[in-house]
Amino acid sequence: MLCEKPSAASRIAKALDDKGRPAEKRIGRVPYYESRMGERSLVVVPAIGHLYTVAPRVRNRNVYPIFDFEWVPRHEAERDAKEIKDWIEAISTLSKEADEFILATDYDIEGATLGYTILKYACGGKEKEAKRMKFSTLTVSELKRSYENLIESIEFPMIEAGICRHLLDAIYGINLSRAMTVAAKSWSGKYATLSTGRVQGPTLKFLTDREKEINCFVPVPFWRINAKVEINGSLFDVEYEKKTIKSQREAVEIVEACKGKKGEIAEIEVREFRQNPPVPFDLGALQREAYSLFRYTPRRTSDIAERLYLEALISYPRTSSQKLPETINYRGILESLRKESRYKRLADLLLEKEKLVPNEGKGYDPAHPAVYPTGNLPERKLSIPERRLWDLIVRRFMAVFGEPAVKQSVRVSIEINGHTFYLRGRRILKEGWIAFYRPYVQIEDVILPPLEEGEMVEFKEISHEQGFTKPPARYNPGSLLKKMEDEGIGTKATRAEIIDTLYTRGYVSGERAVVSELGLDVIDILSRYCPEVISVEFTRELEKSMENIQKGEENLENVIEKATSRLKPVLFRLKENEKQIGQELSEAIRETLMSRRILGDCPVCGTGKLIIIRSRRTGKRFVGCTNFFKHTCKASFPLPQRGVVTPANMTCKKCGFPMIRFKLKGKRPFTFCINPECAGKKGND
Amino acid sequence: MPERKEMTRMNCEICGRKAKSKFCERHEEAYGSLLKTYEEWRKAMDISWRDYLEEIKENPYAGKWAKEVAEYLLTSEGLSL
Repeated sequence: MLCEKPSAASRIAKALDDKGRPAEKRIGRVPYYESRMGERSLVVVPAIGHLYTVAPRVRNRNVYPIFDFEWVPRHEAERDAKEIKDWIEAISTLSKEADEFILATDYDIEGATLGYTILKYACGGKEKEAKRMKFSTLTVSELKRSYENLIESIEFPMIEAGICRHLLDAIYGINLSRAMTVAAKSWSGKYATLSTGRVQGPTLKFLTDREKEINCFVPVPFWRINAKVEINGSLFDVEYEKKTIKSQREAVEIVEACKGKKGEIAEIEVREFRQNPPVPFDLGALQREAYSLFRYTPRRTSDIAERLYLEALISYPRTSSQKLPETINYRGILESLRKESRYKRLADLLLEKEKLVPNEGKGYDPAHPAVYPTGNLPERKLSIPERRLWDLIVRRFMAVFGEPAVKQSVRVSIEINGHTFYLRGRRILKEGWIAFYRPYVQIEDVILPPLEEGEMVEFKEISHEQGFTKPPARYNPGSLLKKMEDEGIGTKATRAEIIDTLYTRGYVSGERAVVSELGLDVIDILSRYCPEVISVEFTRELEKSMENIQKGEENLENVIEKATSRLKPVLFRLKENEKQIGQELSEAIRETLMSRRILGDCPVCGTGKLIIIRSRRTGKRFVGCTNFFKHTCKASFPLPQRGVVTPANMTCKKCGFPMIRFKLKGKRPFTFCINPECAGKKGND
Repeated sequence: MPERKEMTRMNCEICGRKAKSKFCERHEEAYGSLLKTYEEWRKAMDISWRDYLEEIKENPYAGKWAKEVAEYLLTSEGLSL
């Protein structure tokens, strides 16, 4: 039995062993398990994710375009994947003794594809005879049920779609990235890793479009009317009928017309409305909620959720489903969750209901239900992020079974000298699902005193205030993920990783994604020489084709052929313009590298910039002023010679000198002032 | 032919990037945005072109490239535009 990861293998082996204690063995560093099931012996062996990858037959990194790709062991194609060799050898050895094969990797495109490649290449062509285990949680009961109901074959249409995705990503990613890297290297002679890809290009384009909008933004003035009325001795804010006023003159006239006057309550509108419970979490919604509540990046949420899944605390998280089928046993899960004291009261409230019906969303995934807690309680002390995410998933699960919340809103219209102001109140009449989802939903009541139509109220304060229109908000990892989902590019399994790559390549930085010069230039160059590769439409079209392969409506060869024929002219165009592109990219790389070295203005001479310099003579690094080369400033400051130093982009509060960020491997980063004489440092008081 | 040579040599007055006119594509777009928005400012308040540029130069919501263009236009060279 082949599993995706060691922790999954251990859990599956335990669940299927008669005594729950499988024998743990090893071939070299590769663990595997032997479970006894009556007379049968079951060998459970894990992979560590993909063991095979798609690589070009021509390995020379300076050659492109290339369209001839093959599946190879990862250690042959990737420098940091040496351990893969041991894994392939171990699986290969164990497979020789096996008389039956079962694939128990994650039931999705990636799980099926990685299982297929191992069965085919490491086990000597066993992909056609292997059976399949399908499960959405790693609980003992579900694993046993799944083993007793093995599917007769692995899911070939899904695998074909998976192979197609890997091939397309390689054809696009490797060719385009090589084209850019080779161009930059041939111009400057220096190597810098540049990349783009089928999904990465359009995603970076979203960011650069927004960056340009922000950088070109010119604010427009407007005015707001601020007013307070006195009712029964208390002051209440009221809103003017227009949220914004476009001219200063009009704002002044409104204030003049209402100042020192009394207003009459013309109308009181009371409205009651129901707010339905939220829908169950799919991966994207979980990632967005975790970002908005805890500021976890999509990648981090995905990693934590994976750990919770491998500990059988939640169901499989890489799902697009917003549905919870009855077969997951709602009551059973709630009965188990109530053993945890903080969930007891809430679980009991739901268990009192005669029928439990979740408020489901439209999202559907044929392979897995929405993310839900299995009911298992943690066997170890969870870390804070793990506990937070698990709690969020548990409370969301309970909230979807809650009653709609009933809210009341009150709008009091106050007429004054031809102008209307609104006084607003709101309160919750019936909490419903909100009770289950606290503290992740915060609603404050605004209670108004008893009022009657025709009553007069005094305007105690009225003034106008100038404001300015604001530029569009920058994307953050959560909103970028949503944009990718809405545009239909990438998959639930790959989006978080693509966002991460944009950061590691230096195209984007910061939580509020700021695009670097390099990121702007890469998109600028691609849109001039090959706009096709940053086109959302084309990427979306390919995603659709892959879905169709999975449904059996298109075939792999046609999709690859279509994509290749679109890419070929693009690559030839890039090759023709290699010199020009190389020059432009090299300038952008130089600027980006320089910006990573500049600490800020030199406080000694006031005209130069302080930069991180490495001495050619001694090989040591230090901070120096750019005016040193003009012989007008000799300011220099020592730096630690180990670890990574980068500008902290802030100045010291004590002495005003620039600060530096310092990080040693395996240690937390910290910032310090470069000035050895700084009063903030010990001994300098 | 000499004219063509002149075209390819042109650099942005603000950032030195390659440009087809006085400004590169980025600053050209920001300049367009400044021109377009001035009309809205005039409708909102009584303001001269120079005061408008001063306002934009200092405004925290104005974009980086828009501010750079405003700053350039306030110089003697820019005012001749």
